[in-house]
Amino acid sequence: MPNDYFAGIDVGSLSTEAVIVDSNKHLLSYSIVNTGINSSAAAEEALSEALQKAELPRNRIAKIIATGYGRAAVGAAHKRMTEITCHAAGAQQLFPEVRTVIDIGGQDSKVIHIGQDGQLVDFAMNDKCAAGTGRFLEIMAKRLEVKLEKLGDLALLAEKAVSISNTCTVFAESEVVSLVAQNHPIDEIIRGLHVAIVNRIWNQVQTVGVHGQVALTGGVALNRGVVNLLEEKLEQTLEIYSEPQIVGALGAAILASK
Amino acid sequence: MTTSDTRRDYLQNQKSSGRKLLGVFPAQFPRELLWAFNILPVEIWDPPVEIAQANAHLQPYICSIVRGGLELILQGKSSLVDGYLFPHTCDSLQNLASIVNDHLDTGKPCFFFYHPKAVDGQPAREFYRNQLTQLIDRLEQHFGSINIERLQECIQTSRRLYSQLNELFNLRKQGLLQITNSDFYATLRRSEFLWPTDYISELELLLTQKCVKPLPSRAVVLSGILPNPPEILSLLDQHKIRIAADDLLNGQRRMTFLPTNANDPLEAITDAYFAQPPCSTKDSAIAERLKHLQKLTVDSKSKGVIFNIIKFCEPELFDLPQLRAGLRSTGIPSLVIETEINQVLSGQIVTRLEAFLEMIGD
Repeated sequence: MPNDYFAGIDVGSLSTEAVIVDSNKHLLSYSIVNTGINSSAAAEEALSEALQKAELPRNRIAKIIATGYGRAAVGAAHKRMTEITCHAAGAQQLFPEVRTVIDIGGQDSKVIHIGQDGQLVDFAMNDKCAAGTGRFLEIMAKRLEVKLEKLGDLALLAEKAVSISNTCTVFAESEVVSLVAQNHPIDEIIRGLHVAIVNRIWNQVQTVGVHGQVALTGGVALNRGVVNLLEEKLEQTLEIYSEPQIVGALGAAILASK
Repeated sequence: MTTSDTRRDYLQNQKSSGRKLLGVFPAQFPRELLWAFNILPVEIWDPPVEIAQANAHLQPYICSIVRGGLELILQGKSSLVDGYLFPHTCDSLQNLASIVNDHLDTGKPCFFFYHPKAVDGQPAREFYRNQLTQLIDRLEQHFGSINIERLQECIQTSRRLYSQLNELFNLRKQGLLQITNSDFYATLRRSEFLWPTDYISELELLLTQKCVKPLPSRAVVLSGILPNPPEILSLLDQHKIRIAADDLLNGQRRMTFLPTNANDPLEAITDAYFAQPPCSTKDSAIAERLKHLQKLTVDSKSKGVIFNIIKFCEPELFDLPQLRAGLRSTGIPSLVIETEINQVLSGQIVTRLEAFLEMIGD
């Protein structure tokens, strides 16, 4: 049997995704697992699950590209590429008209300008700190005793946003504690946190510029509060794939197929 | 003396041979003058010290070059030097000079060198020459009279040294030097503490690495203050990327312009300073810096520019947005990374660098 399938594995700080495509770049299957403390094992688990869903044996995979912060730990990879290039390729595959990709992952966020052929033109990425990333929202949800998946909806319900002056996650957490103590409504604090994260992302957007249609990728794209505020800033509707976490892995698989 | 000798052993030997050592902070200073006094300048850029005591004297937004330099003195690890020289490179270094001179009892003399910022026109040249004279006067008070014939000899040595460096930079530009980025910049940085004739011997050795056919590698321009942390260089080596030209303050911005053959030695030194390329620490016009970077990129057939910025380096940070926009408008991609001089590269910085290399393609 020919080995004409391709895999992409995106090892992120919170989750690891694997995607399998055929030689026509059609998505056959995907999986999402927690990364945990062993990136290598998470990559293996994600790949096995995706293969199982596609009903393919391992030897039908011609090439694997690993991406994400844990890409170096993927022993099965034939090649490693950055998540910036892979998100660009994935977004280009899903939305050919898109020229700007905003990716908000667990540990970092990036804004990518892509050319007509999906090539990277420019990009900006957050610094070491967790401000403007999924981790920021995760920590705040925990502090406010709200489920992470409910955070965005609560932000939309608030009539106004409490101003959060710190974008540093550690300082913002202290600020939130003070705001709670001052009896500010929780939904207004949550909206304030969303405004803070979107402002942080907006700085990166301005570095690269807004070019054509914009796609939002990464787990934070599932947060309607962030989406809503970003769309207000951009004055356009964001293109969002139904499983926004897998766009990087999809891009890796697409690049493996080339 | 071989390349495997440690810096401290070398300095100890120099001192034992009767030479005086001067701890010199970055970046522009007339080294020929010091050599003529039989003084070895020992440059203090990135001492490998853990910052602890310096934090009591400096604000948190001061760069790690200044912080590390002060820490070195506070920890008593600069005991070998006979004094300090502070060129007027930026406000932070100027403040460091005040702290060391006015508030620390080091027992060693401090010298200052206020080179001009606006480097166009005759008044600037006169000011520079005046500063040279003042520095000589101050040095004579501590180290005896200068011998003008000796200074002339040092200028000739300097001409030889910088000619060789120019040849090496030229070979690097063409891909005709069989040496990694890491090894090249390690050798370049030995100029920060070697006596010039010893350094010339090392450069001669390096010139034997010349090859006939250009090596296959993609090229970039590296801009900033220092090629630190060294992991940047090894990462580029790993990806077979050659730094074909640099715009580093401790690289080509100051290391390629030799004194002229003017009869007056101070005029010869002045000529070299005024021939240097534009620099953020000299308040050069951004348009000039942009033109220089574009020329470096085109001449070296580089695919882009990497700005490696030391955190809180204000002179560099001020120019960046316009430099990047200007490069972009002429189709030259660029990347900015902010690093600390003695910290390992974070995963994010590695990703940025690798993404940039993927962006500039084959």
